[in-house]
Amino acid sequence: MLDIAFAKPALPKSGALVLLLEEGATGASPTGALLAAADEATGGAVGRALAAAEFKGRRGQTATILAPGAGLSRVVAVGLGKLEGIAARQLEDAGGHAAAALAREPAASVAAPGLSGEQAAHVAMGLALRSYRFDRYRTTEKPEDKPKLAKATVLTGEIPKARDAWAGLKAVAEGVFLSRDLVSEPANVLNPAEMAERCRKLTALGLKVEVFGPKEMTKLGFGALMGVAMGSANEPRMVVMTWNGAGAAKGKKPPAKPLAFIGKGVTFDTGGISIKPAAGMEDMKWDMGGAGTVVGLMAALAGRKAKVDAIGIVGLVENMPSGTAQRPGDVVKSYSGQTIEVINTDAEGRLVLADVLWYCQQKYDPRFMVDLATLTGAMIVALGHEYAGFFSNDDALSQQLHAAGEATGEKVWRMPLGDAYDKQIKSDIADMKNVGGRPGGAITAAQFIQRFVNGKPWAHLDVAGTVWSGKDSPTVPKGATAFGVRLLDRMVAEHYEG
Amino acid sequence: MLEVRIGRTAPSASATAIPVAQGAVPEALRDAAAADGFTGAAGTDCEVLTGQGRMLLLGLGTAAPVEEDLRQAGARAAAALIGVAHIALDARALRAPLAAAFAAGACLRAWRFERLRGRPAEDAPKLSAVDLVTDQPDAVAAAWRHASAGVQGALFARDLVAEPGNELTPQEFAARLQPLARHGIAIGILGKAELERQGLGALLAVGQGSAHPPLMAVLRWKGRLKAPPVAFVGKGITFDTGGLCIKGAEGMEAMRGDMAGAAAAAGAILALALRNSPAPALAVLPIAENATGAASYRPGDILRSFSGKTIEVVDTDAEGRLVLADALAWTARQHRPRAMIDLATLTGSIVTALGHHHAGLFDNNAALAARVAEAGRDVGEPAWRMPIGEGHRRDLDSAIADIRHCLSDRMQPDACHGAAFLRDFVGDIPWAHLDIAGVASRAGAEALHAQGPSGYGVRLLDRLVATHFETA
Repeated sequence: MLDIAFAKPALPKSGALVLLLEEGATGASPTGALLAAADEATGGAVGRALAAAEFKGRRGQTATILAPGAGLSRVVAVGLGKLEGIAARQLEDAGGHAAAALAREPAASVAAPGLSGEQAAHVAMGLALRSYRFDRYRTTEKPEDKPKLAKATVLTGEIPKARDAWAGLKAVAEGVFLSRDLVSEPANVLNPAEMAERCRKLTALGLKVEVFGPKEMTKLGFGALMGVAMGSANEPRMVVMTWNGAGAAKGKKPPAKPLAFIGKGVTFDTGGISIKPAAGMEDMKWDMGGAGTVVGLMAALAGRKAKVDAIGIVGLVENMPSGTAQRPGDVVKSYSGQTIEVINTDAEGRLVLADVLWYCQQKYDPRFMVDLATLTGAMIVALGHEYAGFFSNDDALSQQLHAAGEATGEKVWRMPLGDAYDKQIKSDIADMKNVGGRPGGAITAAQFIQRFVNGKPWAHLDVAGTVWSGKDSPTVPKGATAFGVRLLDRMVAEHYEG
Repeated sequence: MLEVRIGRTAPSASATAIPVAQGAVPEALRDAAAADGFTGAAGTDCEVLTGQGRMLLLGLGTAAPVEEDLRQAGARAAAALIGVAHIALDARALRAPLAAAFAAGACLRAWRFERLRGRPAEDAPKLSAVDLVTDQPDAVAAAWRHASAGVQGALFARDLVAEPGNELTPQEFAARLQPLARHGIAIGILGKAELERQGLGALLAVGQGSAHPPLMAVLRWKGRLKAPPVAFVGKGITFDTGGLCIKGAEGMEAMRGDMAGAAAAAGAILALALRNSPAPALAVLPIAENATGAASYRPGDILRSFSGKTIEVVDTDAEGRLVLADALAWTARQHRPRAMIDLATLTGSIVTALGHHHAGLFDNNAALAARVAEAGRDVGEPAWRMPIGEGHRRDLDSAIADIRHCLSDRMQPDACHGAAFLRDFVGDIPWAHLDIAGVASRAGAEALHAQGPSGYGVRLLDRLVATHFETA
């Protein structure tokens, strides 16, 4: 992670300087203090360059000046737009724009005078989030081609407040990076057992981690999950991560009702016997993106010592075609007792979630369950990559999710449920079938999952379009996005702590 | 439409349908119902043969019934008794609006399209008349005058949607609108020359491959209010081959229904006229055939639309948004409506997204969208609000024109793209867009209609106007 420090606003003697400037900022503006200093130190070069670049400080506008004098290697101006009512998300975007412009600099000072300490911390968050890179498997890249930015010093007049706010945000960033690492890993490295091992390491943060193998799950009666797993040489796992933050904070036993987050973790999805076409199949390494988010979220909650009791459960399997694989037409008995006719072995995520959700509600009696899954292509055809779709049986929970999405920029859109859709998964031979046809494909998947929540408050996020990005955005370099970590962390912080 | 007579008795009916709340089976039929296990549970029916004729009990369940429950009960009666010429609907236990909904359901479900059969089908419906039995005939008659307008509008729309592409050319569509004049609706037709003169380049491009030239129909209901009109804009592709980006052969015959949006907009104006609505309203119908031909427009063509904006054509099968772009911009400029609602069988994407049980609802105005959704809920034509994100619009940036109209890659949120495209042509008018591709026609019978067209949108718009646009 990018090394972040905070210092008093002063013109650095060397290196790179970022000026975060509101729209129309001058040397006399609150955010312009170091603009005036830099301009004076460079004999007016900075001001002239920004004028030449027609830099106005519009939100998202950037301008880079190379070696303007006064020992500075680079000055980057980043527009904040109007300062009044500026959201944390917009400051994080500004930090992200700055990080993108600083890739060639080993260290930089980022001037945030005129911003509060908390706002400065969000700028730091943006710098950190954008600086992430998954570099494990590049062995021949030339050093000069690698991004160099290792340290950023955010210049603020409110250093203690900034440090306080950053401590919490840093834990969330670490959760995001853990999630991005897991999702980026190829499937020959990250199989269910390996992912469970990585979850085990979270005990260092104070989480309790329990791992279930095929024996335990068979004994429990996880017929749906085990049916998906049985085609692979890599054994399945279920990992339960427990965070008792509320009990610890109050010095008493944890209350009975934790929040529960459940993730689909198909470490690779070939489709099974209903095998997928070859083109694009490599993307299916991220079919554990829902689980990756849950793990990252639990790390974030523990890392910032959230005053909440929460459970994270991930169902980890590999979906392979083989002589021992499940077939279309098979009927499996789920942990709930309900039977499922498997029409399409590529609709495996819902089978995994069925058993894990039933287990979760039965064992923990949670306050609510939120599941995340890269579940359907239909979701991408519905909303694209800008929103995750979500389904819920609870209006209050839905509103909280929607608001947290708007606040963090991890946007979600509610989609409908209803009996008419539920009819599409009627089976002639079992209690239900695992696909309901093309029309409303994401909805019928949600209807299927709803049959395993036992009436508990629940929301299902179909993140098929949002866990991976083909292009950079201000705070998310292309690749694994960790979509949902910041969203759910925010929802917990807003409504369930204290 | 069925003949509906309202009175205290039903002297000549040979079957009677009776709505029954849970546990409230009429005394005389209690033993028979019990033998069949019928208790009045919602959605269950029980038919009993008695000396008074066939008795059909329609279960309503325990909750206080709403209009949609009675519409569906009436529809179940019509479906079960379609072979009976003359039935009675026993509405004595119902308030007037529910009694009217009961009859409306029967009329909606009894409709069939039989015009093109050389001889009647063996199962051709015999049901032609309904006695609506009530103890308050005056109040029910008034409620029925109101409700029947929406039903007639919906059936008018269905008749158009059911017609095949060789029968209902753009010119024939225009001819079918002419009889609406006798209800006080003013009808204007902008032919090809006029469209050229006014510069509706997008609509003209879509129609240029066909032997049947495009046109735009404008239906005006004056109303009595001193207010700008509310405008309905409907996509009217009389047949959609896809153009040069031709569709797969399988299922292409369904593309005769690609004018369902235009039919619904026309049907809604008819409904307002039939019940003499005070609200001024306008339907604008861009009508064209999207044909493959030597003169067809091509992928890559740049069109100059009525709005002045240039459009890069990517896929000629995304033609609906092109004809709507011109119609919306034209309506906004020429009529400055209070609100514009367009209806279109626009995308396969919305079918994947929402299936067949909700239309997709997009908007530039949350208050209008909420009203549209509420009206849809009330009349049993549900719509689900969908987003137009910044990214959806950004995806349409063109390298050569002001906007491109779709993306060519697979797995796109094309319904959102379509809506984002249309929004660029409505200016500052409050606007909602209903993507009705999943709900305009169905492969099997549904609660309120036989196999085929649903007439979706007519009753929704009628209700929307009645609730929100009849005061200045």
